[in-house]
Amino acid sequence: MPSETPQDQIRNAWQQQPVENVAMSLEDLRRRAGKFQRRIWWRNAREYVAVAVVVVVFGYYIKAIPGPLARAGSLLTIAGALYVAYQLHRRASSEDAPAAAAFEDCLNFHRHGLERQRDALRSVWSWYLGPLVPGLAVFIAGTAIAEPLAVRYRLLSGALMFAIVGVVFWLVAKLNQIGARKLQSQIDALSVLGQ
Amino acid sequence: MGEPSQDERYHQAAAEYGAALERLARGYEFDADRRRDLLQEIHLALWRSFARFDGRCSLRTWVYRVAHNTAVSYSIGRRRSGDRNLVSLEEVELTLGDHDGDQAASRRHALAQLTETIQGLKPLDRQVILSYLEGMDAASIGEITGLAAGNVATKIHRIKTVLAKRFSQGAQNAE
Repeated sequence: MPSETPQDQIRNAWQQQPVENVAMSLEDLRRRAGKFQRRIWWRNAREYVAVAVVVVVFGYYIKAIPGPLARAGSLLTIAGALYVAYQLHRRASSEDAPAAAAFEDCLNFHRHGLERQRDALRSVWSWYLGPLVPGLAVFIAGTAIAEPLAVRYRLLSGALMFAIVGVVFWLVAKLNQIGARKLQSQIDALSVLGQ
Repeated sequence: MGEPSQDERYHQAAAEYGAALERLARGYEFDADRRRDLLQEIHLALWRSFARFDGRCSLRTWVYRVAHNTAVSYSIGRRRSGDRNLVSLEEVELTLGDHDGDQAASRRHALAQLTETIQGLKPLDRQVILSYLEGMDAASIGEITGLAAGNVATKIHRIKTVLAKRFSQGAQNAE
């Protein structure tokens, strides 16, 4: 019998190393699959809850705050929030990773997923913040006008509200830019991985 | 007799390749707890995948592709929180000295060294070496990885060089 090459020896050693014989019952698998589905469901649900809160709050303002401008602002904000919900739904990735694809396809799937997320974060003004701006601007102007105060106080109150909303929007945009940069470095790392 | 069900295919795959999947997980994850977690992810991915198994490739190819893809996805998730730089087989080969094998004192040591080397490889090279160690030929490795035959042959040649230089002494000491 021909003697084993060193490569054969190490291959045999690799195949003969002891294993724990980890086994999963079908119940375990179904439970874990259910947990996975619930996690996805909650992740999506969380995004829509914020939209629902905006709709409920501004729906209440339509009745509670007098003045046609404030009402028009509330309606526009609700419309903007619904548009954001539509965009979230459109952009949500429901695709499963290609289970039995070759390595290159698997890597491409992950890369495209990250690129899609990065582009969504980069364009946050066009689909997330931007659609809320007209409604909020009209609403703030409408509520400031409706306040029973002297003109300069109304102007001051309106300017203050614009400043607060502006800072919040700027922070949200900034955080999304940072997120997009992190995603870009992950995309770069994936590209190196595939070389 | 009808086609096997999703559960039946999973049982068959787990029985035939369970041990190989454990070894594959070792090639991706050093930490024992995370390795067990990865292995469970692989079993879950396999079971889910058999709902879509179309028989266009062999069961073995399907199992290894799903397992490697799950492990790569798992590694990508882990690399987001920072990890070491991965190298190619070519780089491992270039950094080897002729006497590296002398450092290995036993088969166990050689295996530990081999596992560490595999964990430091880029995913595609890792898939090739793990498949090679499981005794697969170049055609099967090409089918699993999607690499062209010539590319697989080059990588196998490098693997043989790496194994001969780094691990031969360790394996011989165990005789």
